[in-house]
Amino acid sequence: MANPKKQKMSRRKFLGISSCALTTAVVGSQVKVLKALAKSGDISEPVAAITKDVYTSCGMCVNKCGVIARVRDGVIHKLDPNPNFFPKSRGMLCARGNAGTKVVYDPDRLKYPLIRVGERGEGKWRRASWEEALDMVTNNMNQIAEKYNRASMMFASTEGTFSEHFFLQLAECYGTPNTLRHPTLCLSSNIQGFSATFGTNPTPDVKNADYIIMSGANRAEALMTPDSIDMIKTDGGGRRKLVYLDPRFTKTAAKADEWYPIKPGTDMAFILALINVIITEGLYDDDFIEENTVGFEQLAQHIKQYSPGWAATECDIPAKDIRRIAHEFANAAPSAVYYQGRRSSFFQNDTQMRRAMAILNAIVGAWDTKGGLLPNKKIALTKHDYLAPWYDDVPDRLDKGGVTYLSEKDGSWPVFRDRALAADPYPIKGMMVYKQNVLVSVPDRAKSLELMKQMDFICTIDITMSDTAWYSDVVLPEATYLERLDPPENLSGPVPVVAFRQPCVEAMFESKTNFWIMQQLAKRLGPEIAETFDFTMEEHIHHMLKKKPEIYDALFGKGVYYEDTEPEYGRLKGKRLRTRSGKIELYSEKYAKKGLDPLPVYKSPDKVPTNMYRLLVGRHAYFTHGTTANNALLHDLMPENTLWLAPSEARKLRLKNGQMVKVKSKVGEEKLKLEITEKIRPDSVYMAHGFGVLSKGLSNIAGVGGSDAALIESKYCPISGNCAMHETFVQITPA
Amino acid sequence: MSAFKNRPKLFVWMAILLLGMAAGAAGVIHVLIVGHAQSYNVTREIPWGLLIATYVFLVVSSTGLCLISSLGHVFGMKQFEFIGKRAILLAILTLLCGFGAIGMEINHPIRMGIYTILSPNFSSAIWWMGTLYGVYLMFLCAEFYFLMKGMHKGAFTMGVLGFTAAVSAHSNLGAVFGLLEARPFWHGSFLPIYFIVSALVSGCALIGMIVYFNHKKSGAPMPLKYADFMDTLGRLQILTLMTLVFFVVWKIIPGIYGHPPEKYEATMSMISGPFAFNFWFFEVLMGLVIPLCILFPKKTRTPTGVMFAGLSSTIGIFFMRYDLVIIGQLVSMREGTAELVNGLLQYTPSLSELGITIGAICTCLFLYTVAERLLPLDPEEH
Amino acid sequence: MKNKRFAIVLDTERCIDCKACTVACKAENDVPLGPNNYRNWVVASKLRGKYPNLGQSYTPSQCQHCSNAPCEHVCPTRATFTSSDGIVDVKEEKCIGCKYCQTACPYNARYYNEETGAIDKCTFCAQRIYAVPPRLPACVDTCPTKVRAFGDLNDPNSEVSLLLARNPSKVLKPAMGTNPHLFYLD
Ligand SMILES: Nc1nc2c(c(=O)[nH]1)N[C@H]1C(S)=C(S)[C@@H](COP(=O)(O)OP(=O)(O)OC[C@H]3O[C@@H](n4cnc5c(=O)[nH]c(N)nc54)[C@H](O)[C@@H]3O)O[C@H]1N2
Ligand SMILES: Nc1nc2c(c(=O)[nH]1)N[C@H]1C(S)=C(S)[C@@H](COP(=O)(O)OP(=O)(O)OC[C@H]3O[C@@H](n4cnc5c(=O)[nH]c(N)nc54)[C@H](O)[C@@H]3O)O[C@H]1N2
Ligand code: SF4
Ligand code: SF4
Ligand code: SF4
Ligand code: SF4
Ligand code: SF4
Ligand SMILES: [Mo]
Repeated sequence: MANPKKQKMSRRKFLGISSCALTTAVVGSQVKVLKALAKSGDISEPVAAITKDVYTSCGMCVNKCGVIARVRDGVIHKLDPNPNFFPKSRGMLCARGNAGTKVVYDPDRLKYPLIRVGERGEGKWRRASWEEALDMVTNNMNQIAEKYNRASMMFASTEGTFSEHFFLQLAECYGTPNTLRHPTLCLSSNIQGFSATFGTNPTPDVKNADYIIMSGANRAEALMTPDSIDMIKTDGGGRRKLVYLDPRFTKTAAKADEWYPIKPGTDMAFILALINVIITEGLYDDDFIEENTVGFEQLAQHIKQYSPGWAATECDIPAKDIRRIAHEFANAAPSAVYYQGRRSSFFQNDTQMRRAMAILNAIVGAWDTKGGLLPNKKIALTKHDYLAPWYDDVPDRLDKGGVTYLSEKDGSWPVFRDRALAADPYPIKGMMVYKQNVLVSVPDRAKSLELMKQMDFICTIDITMSDTAWYSDVVLPEATYLERLDPPENLSGPVPVVAFRQPCVEAMFESKTNFWIMQQLAKRLGPEIAETFDFTMEEHIHHMLKKKPEIYDALFGKGVYYEDTEPEYGRLKGKRLRTRSGKIELYSEKYAKKGLDPLPVYKSPDKVPTNMYRLLVGRHAYFTHGTTANNALLHDLMPENTLWLAPSEARKLRLKNGQMVKVKSKVGEEKLKLEITEKIRPDSVYMAHGFGVLSKGLSNIAGVGGSDAALIESKYCPISGNCAMHETFVQITPA
Repeated sequence: MSAFKNRPKLFVWMAILLLGMAAGAAGVIHVLIVGHAQSYNVTREIPWGLLIATYVFLVVSSTGLCLISSLGHVFGMKQFEFIGKRAILLAILTLLCGFGAIGMEINHPIRMGIYTILSPNFSSAIWWMGTLYGVYLMFLCAEFYFLMKGMHKGAFTMGVLGFTAAVSAHSNLGAVFGLLEARPFWHGSFLPIYFIVSALVSGCALIGMIVYFNHKKSGAPMPLKYADFMDTLGRLQILTLMTLVFFVVWKIIPGIYGHPPEKYEATMSMISGPFAFNFWFFEVLMGLVIPLCILFPKKTRTPTGVMFAGLSSTIGIFFMRYDLVIIGQLVSMREGTAELVNGLLQYTPSLSELGITIGAICTCLFLYTVAERLLPLDPEEH
Repeated sequence: MKNKRFAIVLDTERCIDCKACTVACKAENDVPLGPNNYRNWVVASKLRGKYPNLGQSYTPSQCQHCSNAPCEHVCPTRATFTSSDGIVDVKEEKCIGCKYCQTACPYNARYYNEETGAIDKCTFCAQRIYAVPPRLPACVDTCPTKVRAFGDLNDPNSEVSLLLARNPSKVLKPAMGTNPHLFYLD
């Protein structure tokens, strides 16, 4: 116990930050907090009579695992996994899912609408009524429309709440094309690369694959259900092999049969060499290729240059291992997958790298078959149709044409931000943020701050005082996922399910659902917009389930709806794929037409300059992105982040374990503790995401650790517009 | 204040003790206000800290005083008779202050009172220790009463009973540690025996100081009779110290030989690890070497010498207690608990713990000093 | 009716050190916040080997519900006791906070709970396993990879009995003679 005092202090936390000027109370069990709050008149006492089990879905990350909330005496006492949630989360809740109670009963949660009174970021707020806050938002929106253009308002949001579509609807109805969603921070190059090949972004059949090569996907920590469950070897059934490529020794590496600390950014060399071996040694699936693909000839020609010997020097994986793995992989095929990660915001050539992955899977026939890549299915829900008002002279998206394939709804964050900063071709002056933490999730925080600085108006709808909320003008408290009735959501996959949320307890304080907030804003923006929101959530749900009313009963009866428990293999056999040729495109005509490489061409990543290190980004099992590190239960598991550095390098730099270091990139400088560990390549460093926050409203972590977002340069993939988060080099010095 | 008029030294002494007691009071108040967890540095891994060590130190002192003084009125060694009252009085006070220290460590002293009686566990060494020390306290009080009243027969009977209780209670205290299989540094029959030996050292040391200061305060030169006694005491002290050296050596050797798991790490923390200074400087040098160096040569085995030897070994013994308690817990019960430094857990006493320890010792000395002034403790001349 | 003898069998090969079990237990059992307060834990072994040949294992654990429980032997007031189903538990109102049991437990399974004012430890989630309908202990239930199996050893057909019958297993610190009821599959 280096400092038992400090560890003990964390037990006592005080309610409310100065900005929210609330009561203080010692936090113990939920009940104590609530009693203290009730005494001060901030909320009514929990209703002791209410003790029930409520089916709902986790809202702590993308997976939406099935939850049973155990409500005891009006308080959510425990969140348990829903065993009925079979195909997806199969009766599990991770640490974060279990920490959900502390989201509701979080002293730091947003409680009332707040209006900024000091400078932006100064943290001075006053509590406002919803009336006033909402009026202020729409007044500003109208002013911006008048002064500039409707397109000068940007709407930033991320999936997860099941009600993002209302926010996007408001953006559309207000009349701006500029919605900025998370895919270009996350997986857009993945979608692009795989879709260009298969016409869709498939899901690996982890449960049944005999052989899995996982690269750049840390499934034991970056939890994705059910893959994280299925990744673990089981006793019954064929023994599967997991080959894992990661510059870091992650928990997945600990579970893998083989781990290779691949040189970052060289995965494509490894994949191309596998393809090379498989083609030159005739290990591919002839019939499958013949029947289902186009461009094999070109591929065979193209791949010749990429021998294992060549790849070995690129990626630091011995040629004999590459060769062996190619053989093993091809032998296991089609029950073998090269597992694509989810986050693919790695390098500027990411789309082409994902293309290589897709091609490798295709030539061994690991497509639409047991143990291979599976096309996703969806349970169709009826969409809510509305007629958005028409506005004249609203320009195109600001980032239009910035990259080859730009998603109309998602945009590209790095491209958009650069143009917005240059007001090119028009200025962006207003910002609505919903469930996105721009300052933490978008690389190069200084640039994002600049972007926010130039805004006339910023409104953030969140549940906690995120950095982004901290720099906003109006902060609106949304009810948390355990307090909301959320519309059903289709979770597509080889075995799709429909999930939903229902309130486990009444929304605390003055928090409101996003749907309510959108309705209120719509009302203020005029009758035409209000009309598109003129329904209740119940009506909306019934409308969505119109075609399959049985879903309704399933959701309320067991928390989930699904039609199959096993994937349907060969579903697309003989069917036209959604590519130009209707087949799997090993050679992409579409890319050729756009002047892109029709076959993945390897380019070495920039060399790490001497005395510098490559900064790597990656998940941590205990946190979701940048905002859950403040959760009291999770904070206990990991109170601060560290900079991972290899022992040989630490010796060179004369740095000691645990000392504070300064990490400096071209765009920022952060201080955090050093952790000397063999778990990382000597040329790279790593830090967990979500610390080094600017907001003082996150009381557990304010002033603790360093922020990766402050260091990462804003490079991006020119095809998909996805950020390239692993192309930043940093210098390390003692702090 | 008039009491201090001609006694600037007494004034300074009392002022120091009162300051110490104030530190103790501050510690106690801090605990009462913010609770144990916030005040103490004990942890999940090291649940017993300085206060337990202080408790052990004080009750060892009590036992030692009782045992050595019983040489006089129990075993009839005439030379030792005259110290009876003072020794028993101090034995009572050290015991009470020891109880105070452990009372502050235990979270629920009231529950203890109730459930050790309503729901006793006869297989618990702590239960026996508590019970036996309770009985021991009663005998001490009775003995003191009879001594004060000059009732020799009663005093003798109580002395015998007290002696028996002291030996049982004190070896039981050793057993509190010795019975813990989970803690190889403590485990075994060594500690119960060792505790008795070290009590004898404490007893000699404290009696030497009592006799010395008692005469010092009168200002008169020490009568020959007492000087003789001091010489005998000094020689007895040599015997007990040598026995203790023997024990210390045989504690260390099996702790190192063949690297017994956990015991080795703990022992080494004392030989060359974080507790090396405590061990070599306080335990060995002050506790054993210096006293022996003073006591061996006839030239230095003067009353002053014996007093200094006692003082030195008492300080050493305090660290022996502290080191024993803490080192026994230094080895983590499993990988990955708290942050380890060189493979060991860490503990440093908090200010409250230090305050209460100082307070307990000062209270004891304060009460003794006051009693010295109020009670007729000098032996009746035969 | 025959007594139950509850036990947990763990397959640590499956553990990914996600600490869902730790958080679930804290939430279920109102364990006070603070990194030192927990009823269960996961030990990440020291890294084995030298880069790039590394290995690490993860071993979740909790109170072993020893049938020869030193914590029970040492408790002066019998606050710590063993139920007829083998669950070692603490009667809060009898606990004097002497922490003797903490020094006696070879597994560091106990901590002092400031909020209840008593020693606290794993209880096999008695409130869940005896609920109607019964629920699995929180740590067992929530685990993504189902590392733990919970059940009654006196029932020869229970999952735990079958697992132990079919697989070699071991216990932690067998030399302590505590006779633990947490079994680790080899
Ligand atoms: N616990 C937890 N789970 C989550 C999330 C969370 O926040 N927390 N977020 C969810 C979301 S939104 C996403 S997108 C997914 C992301 O899940 P993953 O796609 O698995 O993404 P990351 O953990 O970001 O990164 C994967 C790994 O890539 C490694 N890496 C870095 N550079 C290279 C390289 O050049 N080559 C190779 N082979 N590896 C490299 C990193 O060290 C890291 O361990 O996780 C989801 N699941
Ligand atoms: N440096 C770095 N940057 C990254 C990543 C990385 O690993 N490192 N990962 C990238 C990836 S893959 C992704 S997907 C993105 C994700 O990044 P974001 O899109 O920003 O998503 P989150 O960080 O999950 O959450 C955003 C905000 O939503 C709030 N929130 C949570 N629940 C609710 C709710 O119910 N209602 C409302 N209104 N708000 C809520 C949270 O408090 C938080 O402020 O980050 C990307 N950026
Ligand atoms: S993986 Fe964890 S955080 Fe994500 S939805 Fe499932 S339980 Fe919630
Ligand atoms: S929940 Fe399961 S996988 Fe996660 S740490 Fe606990 S035992 Fe291991
Ligand atoms: S593991 Fe520790 S607390 Fe649990 S029964 Fe055994 S000795 Fe007692
Ligand atoms: S701390 Fe409580 S449970 Fe532990 S031994 Fe003492 S009285 Fe018994
Ligand atoms: S059985 Fe219950 S009390 Fe015991 S560790 Fe698991 S969750 Fe905690
Ligand atoms: Mo993501």
